[in-house]
Amino acid sequence: MFYPMIQIYLPIAEISVNLVVMLGLGATVGFLSGMFGVGGGFLLTPLLMLSGIPPAIAVATGANQIVGTSVSGTLAQWRRGNVDLRMGFVLIVGGVAGAVFGVILLKILRELGQAGLMISLTYVAFLGTIGAMMLWESVNAIRRARAGKPLSARRSGQHNWIHGLPFKMRFPHSRLYISTIPPLVIGCVVGLLASFLGVGGGFIMVPALIYLLRMPTNVVVGTSIFQIIFITAIVTLLHATFNYTLDIMLAFLLIIGGVIGGQFGVRAGQKLRGEQLRALLALMVLCVALRILFDLVLTPSDLFSIVPVAGL
Amino acid sequence: MIAMGTTIIRLAAILLAVSLTPVLAQKTAAEEPASQEQVQSDVSMREIAIQSNFTGVEILIFGSVDFSDSRTPGEGAYDVIAVVRGPDEPIIVRKKERVAGIWVNGPGKTYGDVPGFYAVLSTRPVRAIASDEALQELGIGLIDLDFGRGTASSTPEQAYRSAMIRLKKEKQLFQEHDDGVTFIGRSLFRGTVALPVNVPTGRYTVDVYLFRDGEVASNSQGSLMVTKAGIEEILYDLAFKYPFIYGLLGVIIAVMCGLVGWFAFRRD
Repeated sequence: MFYPMIQIYLPIAEISVNLVVMLGLGATVGFLSGMFGVGGGFLLTPLLMLSGIPPAIAVATGANQIVGTSVSGTLAQWRRGNVDLRMGFVLIVGGVAGAVFGVILLKILRELGQAGLMISLTYVAFLGTIGAMMLWESVNAIRRARAGKPLSARRSGQHNWIHGLPFKMRFPHSRLYISTIPPLVIGCVVGLLASFLGVGGGFIMVPALIYLLRMPTNVVVGTSIFQIIFITAIVTLLHATFNYTLDIMLAFLLIIGGVIGGQFGVRAGQKLRGEQLRALLALMVLCVALRILFDLVLTPSDLFSIVPVAGL
Repeated sequence: MIAMGTTIIRLAAILLAVSLTPVLAQKTAAEEPASQEQVQSDVSMREIAIQSNFTGVEILIFGSVDFSDSRTPGEGAYDVIAVVRGPDEPIIVRKKERVAGIWVNGPGKTYGDVPGFYAVLSTRPVRAIASDEALQELGIGLIDLDFGRGTASSTPEQAYRSAMIRLKKEKQLFQEHDDGVTFIGRSLFRGTVALPVNVPTGRYTVDVYLFRDGEVASNSQGSLMVTKAGIEEILYDLAFKYPFIYGLLGVIIAVMCGLVGWFAFRRD
């Protein structure tokens, strides 16, 4: 196999990585995110950790990579008029608060030497839950499609407890008149996840906007990816400023690979059916969760580890 | 053989120049007035620049014994120990413990002054060259190295200390080469040491000790500088001196790549 050994030294991670491997990693994640229409951060950050990048650097650099990929995605959604700017800004306000909290949390955990563990545990919990739910849903959908039954129509337009909250605001683009509290809270949770896990948080944001706020689905995807640019940009800035964990060189390689891989992924995704696609994604998410879990449970080959105090 | 021959000629030329101008950069001091011989040494690279293609570098430590009174190359009257030491830094050593089925980092132990890089090269095993006391006094050898005060901890200290040495050795940041120095002829000697890709930056000291009958007959000290250079230096400086601007740069690069990608691949 043609496997050129072009090593490139990463100035912040202070290790030498293979140029082709990192470009390939970016391209693979970009391909998958293009195919499934997800951000891909939940795959990229764990993969970076598994390939020897220190967890905190993987998180900050992963967030930076998502800035790049979500710009392309937002432009496509913007042209179709799928971005609710007002909702986006409310989500961003909540997101900034969550991001600040997440960055501080990560800084404290690093000083305690528990950052890697907590990131891994949170990943296992999130990826395990979401992967299992997606797999269950998509397998049922495939079964129903085989049996020839129509998909059950979801009831919409019902009022729930959310409509009783104060500080209401009009969101004409989404045809909503609701309290600003739920979007602020959703934004905050996603901001926290983004800064703590190096993910865009679309996998939380999209269902929350659909099921809790009852926003129109087409506007949800556009608005979610729009606010992801800002949240991940702020997360990148915060991590760079307070934790010194951003590696621009690594981020650049991943973005280049990701932008190219993403284009092919979109084309590949159009050839697969929705529920099959979701089942595949669910399996992949579960695999990543299991892999991280194994690392936590299996007896490590070396119980000891060393870390420079300055590099915290 | 030809390559080796040219190296020797080159070494001899350098050494001739060095001995003609003894004040040139290297300090030479006779420890004991009774012994005549003096050691002079230098390294092949005094400046090491870490650039994006850096994968480690091998440096040559060479020197000569002036007024050597050994008549044949194999006589073995002299021994040389070279110590390459990088800047000290505090290190935390952690041990994983099993908590509720998963492996968790336990309380760590901090050592204040751990050399970022430490290599001992010698003509023979150091313990055969000099007594433990003499080695300890000179700070030669990992066993006797003082890593500064460890923080108070109830756990046994020796396990953490040896784990750190082992991990540093695995990363090639600690090295011991018993046959790392060889004599060429009566007075010339040379040894190579490989600095791995993860070498810390800063000023390194290179101490060369000439032993005779278990006593230091002469020593010589030199130094070398490891710095990041080119784009690596710019990014590293920016990241730690102006982290906000560095972060902003990261965001701008990402946005530009996203825009370029979208315009390059859009099909509408």
